[in-house]
Amino acid sequence: MTSVIVDNNLHIWLKELAEKYILIAPVTSDGVTLFKHVKAPEVGSIDLQFLNTAVSPKGYFFPLSETIFSIGVERGDVIAPMNADAEVVIFGIRPCDAAGIALIDRVFLAEPVDISYKGKRDRTILIGLACNTPSPECFCTSVGGGPANPMYLDIMLTHTPSGYIVQAITGKGKELTPVTMVEEKDVPSPPTPRIAAIPMEGVREIMRRNFDSPYWDRVADRCIHCNICSYVCPCCYCFDIRDYAGKDKIDRVRSWESCQSAGFTRIAGGHDPRPTKGARLRQRWYHKLLYYPTLFGDIKCTGCGRCVRSCPVNIDIREIIMDVQKLNV
Amino acid sequence: MIEIIRNKAKEWLEKNEDGCVIGYERASDGMTARPVFIYEPHMMGKLIFDETCVHNLSKYLLNRRGTRTAVVVKPCDSRGINLLINEHQLDRDSIYIIGVVCPGMKESHFGRIEDHPLSKCRRCLHHTPAVYDVLVGEPQPETASHDYSDVARIEGMSLQERNAFWKEQFGRCIRCYGCRQICIGCYCQECFVDELDPLWVGIRSCPEDNWIWNIGRAFHLSARCISCGECERVCPVGIPLMLANRKLEKESADLFDFEPGMDAATAPPFATFIKEETLEKVE
Amino acid sequence: MELTYEPRIVGFLCNWCSYAGADLAGTSRTNYPANIRIIRVPCSGRVDPLFIVKAFQLGADGVLVAGCHPGDCHYSDGNYHTRRRVGLLRPFLDYLGLDKARLRLEWVSASEGKRFSEVVLSFTDTLIKMGPRSS
Repeated sequence: MTSVIVDNNLHIWLKELAEKYILIAPVTSDGVTLFKHVKAPEVGSIDLQFLNTAVSPKGYFFPLSETIFSIGVERGDVIAPMNADAEVVIFGIRPCDAAGIALIDRVFLAEPVDISYKGKRDRTILIGLACNTPSPECFCTSVGGGPANPMYLDIMLTHTPSGYIVQAITGKGKELTPVTMVEEKDVPSPPTPRIAAIPMEGVREIMRRNFDSPYWDRVADRCIHCNICSYVCPCCYCFDIRDYAGKDKIDRVRSWESCQSAGFTRIAGGHDPRPTKGARLRQRWYHKLLYYPTLFGDIKCTGCGRCVRSCPVNIDIREIIMDVQKLNV
Repeated sequence: MIEIIRNKAKEWLEKNEDGCVIGYERASDGMTARPVFIYEPHMMGKLIFDETCVHNLSKYLLNRRGTRTAVVVKPCDSRGINLLINEHQLDRDSIYIIGVVCPGMKESHFGRIEDHPLSKCRRCLHHTPAVYDVLVGEPQPETASHDYSDVARIEGMSLQERNAFWKEQFGRCIRCYGCRQICIGCYCQECFVDELDPLWVGIRSCPEDNWIWNIGRAFHLSARCISCGECERVCPVGIPLMLANRKLEKESADLFDFEPGMDAATAPPFATFIKEETLEKVE
Repeated sequence: MELTYEPRIVGFLCNWCSYAGADLAGTSRTNYPANIRIIRVPCSGRVDPLFIVKAFQLGADGVLVAGCHPGDCHYSDGNYHTRRRVGLLRPFLDYLGLDKARLRLEWVSASEGKRFSEVVLSFTDTLIKMGPRSS
């Protein structure tokens, strides 16, 4: 017997969530699916048939731009940023995206703790949606994840023809589960979708030995050095901090940045330790597949496939990994 | 057609040993295309040409200044080369242009090819490249007239509706600069958004700055945009950038009777003037 | 006390003609509304479209670009370029939802002090009727 919530009740539950919390859910408009703040009257616009959103939901914890604090021009006083207190529910997050947030947690929740990030994490509940249909670019199973992986979620929903199977994963999740709307039914779990596996053995060591390989310049030939891959990624977290002067105050703002853009490592005086396209491209893979794993144990990639889908010139991390293994020869 | 492209490219590379051929190869999904750089003649079999070859390869020529490069271009891409030569960014003699008469591209995404053409292809006027060293395919008769019905739809909205429309569209911008990086007309050593003094926008993403970014970029391309549509294709959040660029294209055509990229010699509208002209200046 | 809407106009005036014209308006004691904030540029051709867009973004309700009459530019042809730039920018901004009546291009010579006052008065009137910019 499994706990199931049927479509009608799900709709009611979503409405209740939208009234009580800030509900963030996937909405499709103009053909693009993005996580949006959905108010109670709008819950009908939530799209649960989506594969995945164009941009990951990491922005709800690590915003695209965030004012850290401000300084008043007249008196030089420090103005703390306005912190929202409301609790947030992110509904429909995929296991790969939840895993991405956990990878960022390792960095932002380590000492010294990013207070703003922690505040948002503590106030947010994640209701996940298992994947019944992977995209051609998905590869979560090769990097320690899975389409029905409940880790890092508070509640996991799995769609079946008889309704959504509801699993409370954490205490927070249990509290939020709408017991009055859930029925106990005999519903088989849908079959786990097959996702093509990428062989990952030995990648770290081969990369360690092949830093100077001309391979990286070759792949970088077609890279256009935009920020798309880093920005759509659920676990990339590079940023820059700059001050913006207004009339009455100066804002210190942290914004996303990408190691791929030219000038990312340019320093005062003009020197740039990564001046070539190949050096910048190499950095992305080395951080994800070697440096981060060396520090934290896990690969900094959740196999969501967004970079593969969104890269204008088809630079495919899976292909890179397989090419790296051939470098061993 | 592909055999001719491969042969011509191979012939050229054999004569230009230090050169590089930029063309299309099969992407990692096994069905769409992606750019490829070929340095050895025996690898020419990698080259493909089909309805998924949407990418504008001519921008890569800017990375290879001072070397010899062959490039496979569609008519829209070729206009980009004319633009760059006109603006003194490329040396015509160091490029070997393999121009392809284009059948039109299908809308494609990773792992999926739709069965309808790209909207830019549906309204394409020029199926034969504007510049080439060798032409692959039979030159086609040019189709009649420009179709700006997409622009007219926005023009037909009220001021408030337009305001709201663009606020929503640009509101999705995540400042990834995919549009800028892929655009053949965007090659400034220091883009205005990277300038610190004066600080036009900075890297902060907020509605006001996103507005300036998108408007600034579009306006810097006025009477220069060659309508390859790459900016719109690469945008990860689906902003209809061509709707803005094409408005400027329409106005340039109306005001200056100018179509960018058709040749490499005509002075572009903002580099010249007519003393007696009057553009509408006051209501 | 009731606060009435006072439109804020940013005026880019070329040094040789329109700024001198504005000066003449002042020395002749010709009144014009204080709604305009003047920025002196060497030539109207110095006006980068980004100046205009930025002025609107920072809160200007109207932007005036004023230069020498075509043919009289101190630098020979700067204002011909201005004419083209503003000529293309106006319909573009209108298309994006910014009323084109908020951007004006005027030719004001150094001897046209009265005309300058009239331009600013008329522009201010228009902007009052249009109300403040909403976004």
